[in-house]
Amino acid sequence: SLRRQRVEVSIELRKAKKDEQILKRRNISIHVKEENPSLGQDRAYEVSPSLEEIVEAVNGDDAELQLLATQATRRLLSRHKDPPINQIIELGIIPRMVEFLGRADNTALQFEAAWALTNIASGTSVHTRAVVEGGAIPAFISLLSSPHMHISEQSVWALGNIAGDGPLYRDALIARDVIPPLLALVSPATPVGFLRNITWTLSNLCRNKNPCPPLDAVKKILPVLIFLVHHEDKEVVSDSCWAVSYLTDSSNDRIQIVVDTGILPRLVELMGSPDVNVVTPALRAVGNVVTGTDEQTQEAIDAGVLTVLPRLLRHTKPVIQKEAAWTLSNIAAGPCQQIQQIITCGLLPPLVELLSKGDFKAQKEAVWVVANFMTGGTVDQVVELVRSGVLKPLLNLLLAKDSKTILTILETISKLFLAAEKLGETEKLCLLVEELDGLEKIEGLQNHENDMVYRAALDIIEKYFSGEENTDLEPQTGQDGLYDFSVEKQDFNF
Amino acid sequence: YFVLINCGANVDLLEILQPEEDTFFFVCDSHRPINVVNVYNDTQIKLLVKQDDDLDVPAYDDIFRDEEDEEEDSENESDGSEPLEKRRRFEEEVIERTMKRRQRREWEARRREILFDYEQYEYHGTSSAMVMFDLAWMMSKDLNDMLWWAIVGLTDQWVQDKITQMKYVTDIGILQRHVSRHNHRNEDEENSLSIDCMRIAFEYDLRLALYQHWSLYESLCNTSYTSASLKLWSVQGQKRLQEFLADMGLPLKQVKQKFNSMDMSLKENLREMIEESANKFGMKDLRVQTFSIHFGFKNKFSASDIVYATTSLMENIEKEGPETTNFIKALDSLSRSNLDKLHQGLDLAKKQLRAIQQTVASCICTNLVISQGPFLYCSLMEGTPDVKLFSKPVSLCLLSKYLLKSFVCSTKNKRCKLLPLVMAAPRDVEQGTVIMVGIPPETESSDKKNFFGRAFEKAAESTNSRTLHNHFELSVIELKTEDRSKFLDALISLLS
Repeated sequence: SLRRQRVEVSIELRKAKKDEQILKRRNISIHVKEENPSLGQDRAYEVSPSLEEIVEAVNGDDAELQLLATQATRRLLSRHKDPPINQIIELGIIPRMVEFLGRADNTALQFEAAWALTNIASGTSVHTRAVVEGGAIPAFISLLSSPHMHISEQSVWALGNIAGDGPLYRDALIARDVIPPLLALVSPATPVGFLRNITWTLSNLCRNKNPCPPLDAVKKILPVLIFLVHHEDKEVVSDSCWAVSYLTDSSNDRIQIVVDTGILPRLVELMGSPDVNVVTPALRAVGNVVTGTDEQTQEAIDAGVLTVLPRLLRHTKPVIQKEAAWTLSNIAAGPCQQIQQIITCGLLPPLVELLSKGDFKAQKEAVWVVANFMTGGTVDQVVELVRSGVLKPLLNLLLAKDSKTILTILETISKLFLAAEKLGETEKLCLLVEELDGLEKIEGLQNHENDMVYRAALDIIEKYFSGEENTDLEPQTGQDGLYDFSVEKQDFNF
Repeated sequence: YFVLINCGANVDLLEILQPEEDTFFFVCDSHRPINVVNVYNDTQIKLLVKQDDDLDVPAYDDIFRDEEDEEEDSENESDGSEPLEKRRRFEEEVIERTMKRRQRREWEARRREILFDYEQYEYHGTSSAMVMFDLAWMMSKDLNDMLWWAIVGLTDQWVQDKITQMKYVTDIGILQRHVSRHNHRNEDEENSLSIDCMRIAFEYDLRLALYQHWSLYESLCNTSYTSASLKLWSVQGQKRLQEFLADMGLPLKQVKQKFNSMDMSLKENLREMIEESANKFGMKDLRVQTFSIHFGFKNKFSASDIVYATTSLMENIEKEGPETTNFIKALDSLSRSNLDKLHQGLDLAKKQLRAIQQTVASCICTNLVISQGPFLYCSLMEGTPDVKLFSKPVSLCLLSKYLLKSFVCSTKNKRCKLLPLVMAAPRDVEQGTVIMVGIPPETESSDKKNFFGRAFEKAAESTNSRTLHNHFELSVIELKTEDRSKFLDALISLLS
């Protein structure tokens, strides 16, 4: 199939370079005073217990000391700079903290322990492992049912960190039946903050491949996910869209399961959101869906994806432009009926715009749109495509530095010439290509360092521009050709 | 390792040069304010600054912030990024976090203000030459020659009006002590006559440019102080000059001769005589504290002579090769064994000073200096005599200063007397560029601080003008002639 999976490129988490506002500290060594976490908030100058004191108190039997020590640990781990995670792990107190999770008689202790363990698990895989090996998983899962909301919420958070570590722990949680009690926490009465945490944890349970989450787990989660994706809170919606995008980033049968929920219209609606945090995952999810079967793609089209794509092709964020173009390229890889819908829904003008002045990565995807169009489209549709003015920017992209793109364009042009041959209008096409400065670019490519590029260029030149006189130059006006090849005020009757 | 002499302090060196981690810069530069990154960098930038040079640098915490602090917000940033795989729970509640964010924004706003205030005005600190001399002195490797160069460095700051009168006098005092130390020997015949020996002497000399290598008359006409005070561009001014000379009992014929050919009797007590008469004509500062150098049989130069000569060599428009030739020649002229170059420089300097005075006179007489509201403006047209001389930054600045001094003396408009001046001249006719300088107002208590650097920067930005803003003095800018109007308009509204 022509459809292309999205390459696993990690999204660039480039924080806005606030330029003028924050200067980079280059090699500046200023010694910042060590923070002194205090035991009580009003005792600002109280020195915190030393690590030895913490160990002693935690391992001892005095409940009050246990609480104070656990709280002190939590404070150390929740400070902004350099939480001493490794040091705390080395104290060997994690199993004891896990024990504290079970202390239903002392909810303050449970809460502090839960928070401390959450923060340890938020570190590296080594850190998370230390928490898991301390026996935290079953303890946290049972805490999901705690009558105290702040405790169950903290447990949700901790489990989210564990699940986020990777497929291994994710599936370990699922095997331990984390899903039913977790889902039970979702209700219309659930406060938004709590709901955000739950959604995030759910997204981690849907996340990661190799392997994908177990199918039955997915089937259990989906209905709740649908509920969440309709919520009014933007963060909840965003994270649930991410979850859906993970679930659709998979084999066609998994895509089907998602499509069967009827979620597509909602996703398409969200693609029109002004909020980038919502648009991005919604677009990703739908983009994944159209990598599936023709039928699945049709469902996306029926849900209206082609009506929202034009705006996204023109989006200010290059990443969104790119993913929209990628999505379109996969739709264009479908049967000609779907290609027809691309045309009818007015996607050609924004496509040409994107090809002309979009972000380069998006332009590369747009080239694929044209290539796929050329492969799967009828001659009518190909003519329509050319009429929309796509050739000019396409030929301009022959100057790109990326060999693969150049090759795709050359192959597309070859296909175009084949279509022209069928109609006996090769010379017209040659003229058009020449007019658009395409010939000189193709000629230039004969010197390209890439073997395949130079050969493809040579091929085109030899076949169609090999210097035969253009005998067919008189303008054929008034010829009622079935195919009118008008581009840029020139009338070429095909 | 790189040593930057009299450049680099006022720009973010790391940003501009993008050096490797193991590259180090030693910077000895009088340009102020020193860029905050240069100040606070711990490893790669080393600044040579005199202890008492008050830098007024903003506190570290007011302008730098740990980038790590930003991590908290990365979740909530609207950039469409994927949710974090793991999240740590911080100690504060949401309300506190919002407050923190608000605090951060306030801090940022205050920071912008602080940096704006700090960077708004450019000025100069202690002369780099003096700092280098200090360094040599601390290493006990200071020589009389080096002392002379330190003197020349300071005098250059004075000639170009870069430092306040007080700073100049203070630094003269410092150098005077060194001069005494190096030159306290009694006037042995040996020392004063030997070709290889040189002597520096403190002088309370006439501030008449090049007068000992010119005629007194020429010098009086071409020194901005006298020319402006007497208003020599006007007929009355010329009359006043005659009266002034008569008051001193100096016959015109004598005064127009080469100075060295003047009668000895007239040269005796010349300084006191001129000073007395000058006071009557409203010139109270005709004498200035400075130094002179003697070497060989008859070589005597005032520090300002050297400054004018060297500058003219550096900006010599008669091109003989690449730009660096001029620089090397100027550098060479500072050595006592290159008298020929020094003399060439003196000749060029005379040409330059004449050209300046003529241009000033012409501008005043034809009312070319106009008020644009927040500043005065004067533009030299192509085809103006000597206009090529003024395509160079230092020459143009000198011209501007002299013009402003003269303008202030000539105008009756009280408000205009307090305005700064922007001056433009053609830079490269082929390329279609102009060079523009901005200088602060001419007032008695001026602190010599110049805001045009930043103003030019902003005006260029806001109008998308095509500019070249990379002179060591940021108050000098080059731009495309076509962009001049909109640039000026922007400058006017910026400063109004």
